[in-house]
Amino acid sequence: MGEVILTMKDIDKSFPGVHALDHVSFEVCKGEVHALMGENGAGKSTLMKVLTGIYTKDSGTIIYEGKEVTFHNTREAQDAGVVIVHQELNMIGDLTVAQNIFIGREFMKGFRIDDKKMIAESRKLFDELHIDIDPQAKMNDLTVGKQQMCEIAKAISHQAKVIIFDEPSAALTEKEIEDLFAIIRDLRERQLGIVYISHRMDEIKVITDRVTVMRDGTYVGTLITKECTKEDIINMMVGRVIYEEPKTKSLVPPDAPVVLKVEHLNAGRMVQDVSFELHRGEILGFSGLMGAGRTETARALFGADPKQSGDIYVNGKKIEINSPEDAVKAGIGYLSEDRKRYGIVVQKSITQNSTLACLDRYVNGPFLNKKAEREITQKYIDELSTKTPGPDQLVVNLSGGNQQKVVIAKWLIQNCDILIFDEPTRGIDVGAKNEIYKLMARLAAEGKSIIMISSEMTEILRMSDRILVMCEGRKTGEIPIEEATQELIMDKATRNIQ
Amino acid sequence: MKQNPIIKKLGLNRIILTGVLILMYVLFTAAIPNFSSMARIRSIMNYVYFLGFLSLGVTFVIATGGIDFSIGPVMFCCALVAGYCLNSYGVPMPLALLISILVGGLFGTFNGYLVSHWSVPPFIVSMASMNIAKGIGNIFTRSQTVSWPLSTDANGWFRNLIVYKGFPVGLFIFGVVAIICGMILYNTKAGRYILCLGSNREAVRLSGVNTKKYEMLAYVICGVLVGIAAIFFVGAYTTVQPGYGDQYNNEAIAGCVMGGTSMVGGLASIGGTVIGVFIISLLQSGILAFGMAKDVQLITTGIIVIIAVYADVMARRRKN
Amino acid sequence: MNRKKIRVFSDQRFIVLLVVIALTAVFMALSTGFRRYSTLLQLLDSGYYFLLMAVGVTFPLITGGVDLSIGTGMVCYALIAGTLVRNNNLPVAVAIILCLLMGAMTGFVNGVLIAVMNLPPFLATLCTCMITRGIGSMMNATPWPTGSQAGGWFHAIFKYVQGTGRRATQYPVGLILVVIVVLLMEFILNHTRFGRYTIAIGSNKEATVLSGISVKRYHVAVYVVCGIFAGLAAVAYAAATPTVQPGTGAGLELDAIGGVFVGGVAARGGYGSVLGTLAGVAVIMLLRVGLPFIGLQANWQQIITGLVLIGAVMIDIIKQRRAAIRQ
Repeated sequence: MGEVILTMKDIDKSFPGVHALDHVSFEVCKGEVHALMGENGAGKSTLMKVLTGIYTKDSGTIIYEGKEVTFHNTREAQDAGVVIVHQELNMIGDLTVAQNIFIGREFMKGFRIDDKKMIAESRKLFDELHIDIDPQAKMNDLTVGKQQMCEIAKAISHQAKVIIFDEPSAALTEKEIEDLFAIIRDLRERQLGIVYISHRMDEIKVITDRVTVMRDGTYVGTLITKECTKEDIINMMVGRVIYEEPKTKSLVPPDAPVVLKVEHLNAGRMVQDVSFELHRGEILGFSGLMGAGRTETARALFGADPKQSGDIYVNGKKIEINSPEDAVKAGIGYLSEDRKRYGIVVQKSITQNSTLACLDRYVNGPFLNKKAEREITQKYIDELSTKTPGPDQLVVNLSGGNQQKVVIAKWLIQNCDILIFDEPTRGIDVGAKNEIYKLMARLAAEGKSIIMISSEMTEILRMSDRILVMCEGRKTGEIPIEEATQELIMDKATRNIQ
Repeated sequence: MKQNPIIKKLGLNRIILTGVLILMYVLFTAAIPNFSSMARIRSIMNYVYFLGFLSLGVTFVIATGGIDFSIGPVMFCCALVAGYCLNSYGVPMPLALLISILVGGLFGTFNGYLVSHWSVPPFIVSMASMNIAKGIGNIFTRSQTVSWPLSTDANGWFRNLIVYKGFPVGLFIFGVVAIICGMILYNTKAGRYILCLGSNREAVRLSGVNTKKYEMLAYVICGVLVGIAAIFFVGAYTTVQPGYGDQYNNEAIAGCVMGGTSMVGGLASIGGTVIGVFIISLLQSGILAFGMAKDVQLITTGIIVIIAVYADVMARRRKN
Repeated sequence: MNRKKIRVFSDQRFIVLLVVIALTAVFMALSTGFRRYSTLLQLLDSGYYFLLMAVGVTFPLITGGVDLSIGTGMVCYALIAGTLVRNNNLPVAVAIILCLLMGAMTGFVNGVLIAVMNLPPFLATLCTCMITRGIGSMMNATPWPTGSQAGGWFHAIFKYVQGTGRRATQYPVGLILVVIVVLLMEFILNHTRFGRYTIAIGSNKEATVLSGISVKRYHVAVYVVCGIFAGLAAVAYAAATPTVQPGTGAGLELDAIGGVFVGGVAARGGYGSVLGTLAGVAVIMLLRVGLPFIGLQANWQQIITGLVLIGAVMIDIIKQRRAAIRQ
């Protein structure tokens, strides 16, 4: 670990209504991998966006290579050698790999872009990193993992001195993560400063030298990775010890009837021959790495995406599901991982969102029965203890946890017996998380059947009665909760990966 | 910050618009002699009627986040086809009126089907429909102008739909249709779905709603209203020439967007549209009364739409 | 090698080329009139301005936008410049430059409305369409100088006439211009920064911004280029039209835009080719000129172009859907 290359001091940033960064400090040294950790919304990404000029800081100083700097846009930051590898991929799908890597700084021959040189340079870059990608391939035709590699290659090609990885492993397979780590170690050797943002504790232990933890927009502390334990880091992240007892025994009675049976479901590359059963009152956990095809399975089952083949039985009766409309009629409800895009209509009121799935029941002749709508909404606001001034409040003004409750209310009002929760606690703070867990347990006890897709191991082990593991579009395991361990699930989740 | 409940109920936007309307009327009256004459008011009203139905129609489409700028030429197509049937095939008047509405409805169905079931971008569908409407109008009438019967003619009774013995029946009908549109948009299942899918289509679809059906419905409603607009157009202006009608697209969209309907969908105001229509009609009439030509009308509406949409863009940006 | 062959055959541009050949064959087989040299000349006359408009509008369409003001704009520039030539003895060369400038200006306004003020492209350009039409309508009907009059030399850009009267021979020299323009713009699209960023904006605007490119500037430039081509089209229009009439031009943009879509531009943006546009415009022009020869009156063209436009876009959408399912 060399001298300090970058220091951020007392960085402050507010958005309307949110104090996103409250006097945060952070530093990176040459030849160091410095982890930046914190829960969702802790301010990690905001801090990095302030650094690279996407956001303007309200106050504070950034010292880079001994000089105070302010980058006004990513371009300036790049030119100075501070490069970010984004969480959302930043690729232009219709251009080729080489064109993407050199976008904005193409080699020119007079008026003409020198594509040949760009291809040759890309090839050199990939060789250096031991990556096997054709520079002339269209970006759209690559897998997510390969696209990520291109992003990294692009970052390195900027003669970067500081590289920020914003959750780089989220979309990668185990093998690809290995490759990524090899690259990162190589970069560390070359005395680059590396910021590594991730949620995955195991990775942090393996790859980083120091860990800085943030919470709710504030700086909590910095630890030397070798000298601390996972628990130390978690405690700093959440501010208190959460000790989650995994479920030890299935709560489903052995004679509980099968309410949903899926046989040989196929939908593209991500869903291949998936079969399973769901019992009454059961919480079936869907575990697997990112990109294992869990969400795709749920969407195909729900009719949100077209499927190629597969039979679906609800309460023993075979049903055709070709659209969400069919699924909802059959009593299935789906709570998406991306609430803002797929779950709620943010600019409308809680009432309008709550009755969206079953408006048929709230009509008086041709007109809507708004009074009845409001009453039922109020009833579920009370029941789920949603925090809101009233049913007319716009959903956009609610917190993540309360928005999730509105979506739950929607499906409960529709009387769905089968609920698919896709990452039910993503983007929700710890307190609200517990509430959602309790609610799910209560619903299961009341006889609802739940499929819970989750990437959090603790969540899976705490909630599920049975665990189904997927990998690369296939079901690779089904584990009763009594036998489930993290190691076993991980083993199945990486089964196809050599 | 507490808002006055009366202002909140009526909507600040609509109050300002009404103010603008009154101010414009006062200014025109002061600047132009005889502006408040009965004849002038009647001419403004004539404009309000057909433009009103067009604007109401396109409000539904814009509420879904779409657009339809084939409405002007389609209105002409309706009037041409129905009028030609009336004059050349001796179709009875009530049937002719029905044909007009039917033709409008068919165009709406065609547009809606392509947009909702095939996800063809609305502006492309509009361009195509505009040409198809002009083509049909031309072919059907062999490129001849069509004149609808005068009030003294045998079939002239249809003009009573507009003015009966000096009583503005048209205004009454327009009011009733506007109220019905408001009812549909705010108080029925279809309206709720149209507004919600304009705001977030995927969320509505994943709630088990047949979004294609309701999106298409918005275009059909628009088409039917365009068919009605055609009746009021010929009731006021008697003759229709094939190959025209484009300018009314912009005027209808202007009335709608000015009234507070958001171009990105999800937010629509029928009351605002009605006031917007009055403003546009008054303006167009005022421009002619100032002795300026039709070209100025085209230019002013163009500029008004740009300003109104930009205001909407800015308002949304401020919200985020 | 084999894979490359298949790719050539499934390329939309290649299919469209086949359609062009097939249409020509059908019209030639069905009508003797279509086989005449004069028909080719007639096709080219209007073909020039449609092609120029189409080449220009290819760029906004690749960015996922559109420019509806090209048709009325073209007529408006031809009217204004023509009036100045008629009444103020403006040299034709200056008039041509003026056309280009007016086109660039309209394009600039469109670009600012869309790229800077964030208005939806179809709406912004629908408004400038109305405005240019209104401005054009203020002019009087204007004939530009004919070939034999002073200043009539500009006709020779498109059609060189040797001899006079009935014995005159006409050479479609405009084809040279077409080849130059198409190849030049295809080159610009594929091998310059402007072209590359046009594709990038259409494919993923957000990512293009984050790549540190001043997207607004290029986005405005896209519309300026489109406007300049509308200005060029105005010259071709003036050459092909004995008297430019005020109030016309609405709807002409449709044939041009239709041609671009037939040529294979993606409805969502991000892909397109100027060579494809050339082939697409050829299809539209063949239908326009050929249909009357097989007994369909002129007005049917309007309907058919409308349907062809929708058909072309639907083919693109179906292709996208298939690709999505395969994923």
